Amino acid sequence: MILTGPKIRQAVKFGEITIEPFDEKNLNPNSYNYRLGKALIALNPKREKQRKIDLTPAGCVVKPGMIYLATTLEKIGSNKFVTLLLGRSSIGRLGLFLNITADLGHCGSCSHWTLELSAVQPVRVYPGMKIGQVSFWLTEPNSHAPYTGRYHRDSEPTPNRDPHLANTF
Amino acid sequence: MILTGTQIENAVARKEVIIRPFRQSQLAPNSYDFRLGNRCCVYTRNVLDASKDNPTRVTEIPPDGIVLSPRRVYLINTEETMGSTKYVPIIRGRSSTGRLGLFIHITADLIDLGYVGQMTLQLHCVQPVRVFPGMLIGQITFWRTSGRRVFYSGKYNHRRSPVRSLSFLDNKLSHE
Repeated sequence: MILTGPKIRQAVKFGEITIEPFDEKNLNPNSYNYRLGKALIALNPKREKQRKIDLTPAGCVVKPGMIYLATTLEKIGSNKFVTLLLGRSSIGRLGLFLNITADLGHCGSCSHWTLELSAVQPVRVYPGMKIGQVSFWLTEPNSHAPYTGRYHRDSEPTPNRDPHLANTF
Repeated sequence: MILTGTQIENAVARKEVIIRPFRQSQLAPNSYDFRLGNRCCVYTRNVLDASKDNPTRVTEIPPDGIVLSPRRVYLINTEETMGSTKYVPIIRGRSSTGRLGLFIHITADLIDLGYVGQMTLQLHCVQPVRVFPGMLIGQITFWRTSGRRVFYSGKYNHRRSPVRSLSFLDNKLSHE
């Protein structure tokens, strides 16, 4: 079952969901809008080095053919519910993917989520803009195995840390 | 929990789920297949801006279809009017369209409770592909909720789909 907006608000109040900072205005009927953090990492397969872009209020044009790692401005997670990360339709209508088929969050993970931005057409984005949403889902009772993996407690855009995929960039 | 096809049909009969027109032949074991509409909206400029009202052009898709280009976003309405005040709809492509490299939304699969209308699909293809009005293009699933239900009253209500991005109406575009 998916949590409704009022249930998300209640779970935040009871400490069952972390959304920091939390702003009631960003609640939807069945999700919460997160905002874009202040930095991007551009991964360009033709370049050896990753390029960090600090976003200014003037924003930055995300170009097609590249992956940009970004983060949610908010710290988001839950020990009780499963988080799914998705975009907003306003942003999908601009042709901007927020993740690359990796939408499932682990129960117990709580961090500034790394977003995988990929654009169909060039599109200018701004720090702090409402860019995506998270939904929360009930799990089977008494079945928790909280996440303690390699991306636990991320606070900035984090490239892949899988040792089996080392040297990808 | 996800509704089965039979439960979707019963929910349509009880008006808890709206699917118009509803054809039993489009029911699947746990989803409903919807069709592509015939109005196509594209941006007239290549570079888009999330804080601006990006100009668009809307055209009618002829019966023999249009070929999509990988370099553009195509906003096309669904033929069906859909939504629910009881179950949360989630849309996705069909495996038949996925196998052609065709995305039907761009990480925006979750529909708000209370939104009822034609959906604006965000078509994007990996290789050029021809699509036709009326083709079965995606599927909609319905999910049970936990908690008090409130309904969508946002900026896409009461507009004729497809609707371009209205992100420029978002109040918070600069960082704090």
